[in-house]
Amino acid sequence: MTSANLAAVQADAGRPPRDWVLIGLWLSLIVVAAIWIAPFVFIVFTSLKSTGQVMTTSAFAPPADPQFSNYASAWARGRFDTTFVNSVVITAIKVPLGLMISAMAAYALAKIPMRFGRLTLVLILFGTMIPFQVMLAPIFTLVNGFGLIDTYPGVILPYLAFGIPYQVFILHGFFRAIPHELSEAARIDGASHFTTFRRVFLPVSLPVLAALFILDFVATWNEFAMALVLLQDREMWTLPLGLSAFQGQFSRDYGQLNAAIVMTVLPATLVYLIFQRYFVSGLTSGAVKG
Amino acid sequence: MASVTISEVRKTYGAVAVIHGVDIDIRHGEFVVLVGPSGCGKSTLLRMIAGLENISAGTIAIDDRVVNHLEPKDRDIAMVFQNYALYPQMTVAQNMSFALELARVDKATIRQKVDAAAAILGLEPLLDRKPAQLSGGQRQRVAMGRAIVRNPKVFLFDEPLSNLDAKLRVAMRAEIKSLHQRLGTTVVYVTHDQIEAMTMADRIVVLNAGRVEQIGTPLELYDRPVNRFVAGFIGSPAMNFIAGTLEAGQAGLKVASGAVIAVGPYPAELVGRQVEFGIRPEHILVSDAEGLDARVDVVEPTGSETHVVVDAAGEKLVALIRRRLPIAVGDRLSIAFEEGQGHLFDAGNGQRLALEPMDV
Ligand SMILES: Nc1ncnc2c1ncn2[C@@H]1O[C@H](COP(=O)(O)OP(=O)(O)OP(=O)(O)O)[C@@H](O)[C@H]1O
Ligand SMILES: [Mg+2]
Repeated sequence: MTSANLAAVQADAGRPPRDWVLIGLWLSLIVVAAIWIAPFVFIVFTSLKSTGQVMTTSAFAPPADPQFSNYASAWARGRFDTTFVNSVVITAIKVPLGLMISAMAAYALAKIPMRFGRLTLVLILFGTMIPFQVMLAPIFTLVNGFGLIDTYPGVILPYLAFGIPYQVFILHGFFRAIPHELSEAARIDGASHFTTFRRVFLPVSLPVLAALFILDFVATWNEFAMALVLLQDREMWTLPLGLSAFQGQFSRDYGQLNAAIVMTVLPATLVYLIFQRYFVSGLTSGAVKG
Repeated sequence: MASVTISEVRKTYGAVAVIHGVDIDIRHGEFVVLVGPSGCGKSTLLRMIAGLENISAGTIAIDDRVVNHLEPKDRDIAMVFQNYALYPQMTVAQNMSFALELARVDKATIRQKVDAAAAILGLEPLLDRKPAQLSGGQRQRVAMGRAIVRNPKVFLFDEPLSNLDAKLRVAMRAEIKSLHQRLGTTVVYVTHDQIEAMTMADRIVVLNAGRVEQIGTPLELYDRPVNRFVAGFIGSPAMNFIAGTLEAGQAGLKVASGAVIAVGPYPAELVGRQVEFGIRPEHILVSDAEGLDARVDVVEPTGSETHVVVDAAGEKLVALIRRRLPIAVGDRLSIAFEEGQGHLFDAGNGQRLALEPMDV
C-alpha cells in the first residue's frame, strides 16, 4: 500500500461515511413532528388572542398582545372548577387502582399455577375484543340498575372494567418474560407471592408500568362517550363534557375556546413529562446471564 | 451441617416419568456432585430437594425430617442458580440481606452477617453496586453470598459455573471447594462437566435418564466404573471401547475386522461372550516391543500431553502420551495395553464383567 492511499484510508476512518438511511429517517421524523406540533402551536397562539385578532391575523402569527384573561374567562364560563375537580377525582382513583388490580391479576395469572388460570386469562383477553360502543346501552342499563348514574363509582367501575383487560394482557406478557429463577430465588429466600410481586416484579416492571400509567391517564382524562352517557347532571361532568358544551355555547369565541383546550390538555402533558423518565430500558439487566 | 436422604424418589410430568426411583444418602458435611448428560434429571432432582418441584413419589429427608411438603424457606436450604438470579434493582448488600430481612432478623445482625459473607467472598468494595454493574464472576460470588448469609443446612448449586469462561471457572471451582472446607456445610452440586465433578466432589452420583448409575468417590468411579455408561462418561478424553468376542485360550478379543487383539487375562467362562473392552487413553502405551500395529490418524498436542488418535485393527483408539515423541500423522506405531488396566463390559446390558473371580 502506498503512503498516499494509506493516508486516504486513515482520513476515511476518522470520518464515518454518510448514512443516507439515517438522514432519511431524520427528515421524516422532522416532518412528522411538524405535522403534530402545528395544531398545538395554532391552539396556544389562538388561546392568547382576542376574537378580533383571531379574525384578522394569520393562524400561525404569534399573538401581538397576549390576552391571558382568556384563560380566566374560559375557566369561569366553562365551569372548570366543577369539571376539573370531577376529572381529577375520577382519574386519580381510576388510573392507580386499575393499574394495581391489573398488575396483581397479571402476576397471579403468569406466576401462580391455578386450576382455571388459562381460562381466566382467555376470558380477560376476550374483554379487550369487545368495542365499548356496543356496550354503551347495556352499561347504562346496568349502572342505572345499581342506581349509580351521576356518581363517581358509576363511571369509575365501567372505566376499570374496560381498562383492566388490556393492561392485564400487556403485563401478563411482560411478567411471563421475567426469568422464573428470579421468583424461585425469592421463594427460597422466604418471600410470599405478594412480597415477590411487590419487591421483585414491580421494580423490574417500572418502564411498562409508567407507559401504561401515561396511556391510561390520557385515555381516562379524555374519555368522552361513556362519561356522556353515565354523567347527566352538569355538576358531575368531566372536562371533555364541559369542553364540548363550551364549544357549542361559545363557538364564536375562539380565544377562550382554545384557552379551555390548553387547560384540558395540560395535565396530561405534565403526567407524561413526569413519568417518561421511568422509560429507561434494561431494568432487568444483571439479574440473570442470558 | 445436615444429612440429606433421598429414598425411592420419582418425578413425573403428567404421563412422562423423568426420575425413576432414586436413592441417595448424603452424609453430614459431604460435598456431593450430581453429574450426568443433559436432560438426565439433575436439575429436577435438585429442585425437588429445594422444594421448587413437587415430589411425585418417595421421600426426601433433611436431617431425618421428611421435607416433602415443606415450603423451600422452611427446609433450611439455599440455592445458587446457573444464571445467578440476582434481584436487578437491589444492590449487592440488599440482594444478600433480602432473605434475612424477610425472616425479620434485626438490622444489626443482618449488617454483621452480610459483612462477614462479603469478607469471605471479597465482595466488600462492591456492596453498593447493582448486579448490572458487576462482571459474571462477581455476580456468581454475590449469588453465593446470598446463600451464605442464611447459614443454611444444605447448599444447592445448579451448574453455577457454566456461564463463566474457562479460567474463571477453574478459579471459582477452587473457591467453592475452599468455601466448603471452611463452612463444612453439606453441598449438593449439579454439573454436566465431569471434570468439575471429579475435582470437587467427596462423592459423585452419576445419573442417566432419571436413574442412578453409580455412586462413589471420584477415583472409585474412575477406576472401577460399574457399567459402560459410567466408564464412558467419567474421564477426558473418554475411555476407548472395543467391541468383540472373547476367544478361547486367552487369545484375546476378536473384533469386527476379524483380527484378534490381546486384552490381558480374562476368566474362561467369558469365552464366546459378546463384550466391550474398555481401556483409558493413558493406559495405551506406545511400545517399541512387539505390540499391536497402529496407524496415526490425528495428533493433538496440548502441551503437557499429546492425544493421538490411532487406527489399530480397524478400531479408532485415543492414546494419551505424556512424553514428547516425534509422532506425525501417517506414522506406524506399535501399541500395547497396560497390564491389568482394562475393563470388560457386557455388550448387551453394559454391566461390568469380572476380570478375575474375586473382582466382582
Ligand atoms: N415442566 C416440565 N414438563 C415436562 N418435562 C420436563 C419439565 N421440566 C423438565 N422436563 C424434562 O425432564 C427431564 C430432566 O430435566 P432436567 O432439567 O432435570 O435436566 P438436567 O439434567 O438438569 O439437564 P441439563 O444438564 O440440560 O440442565 C428432561 O428430559 C426434560 O425434558
Ligand atoms: Mg439442569
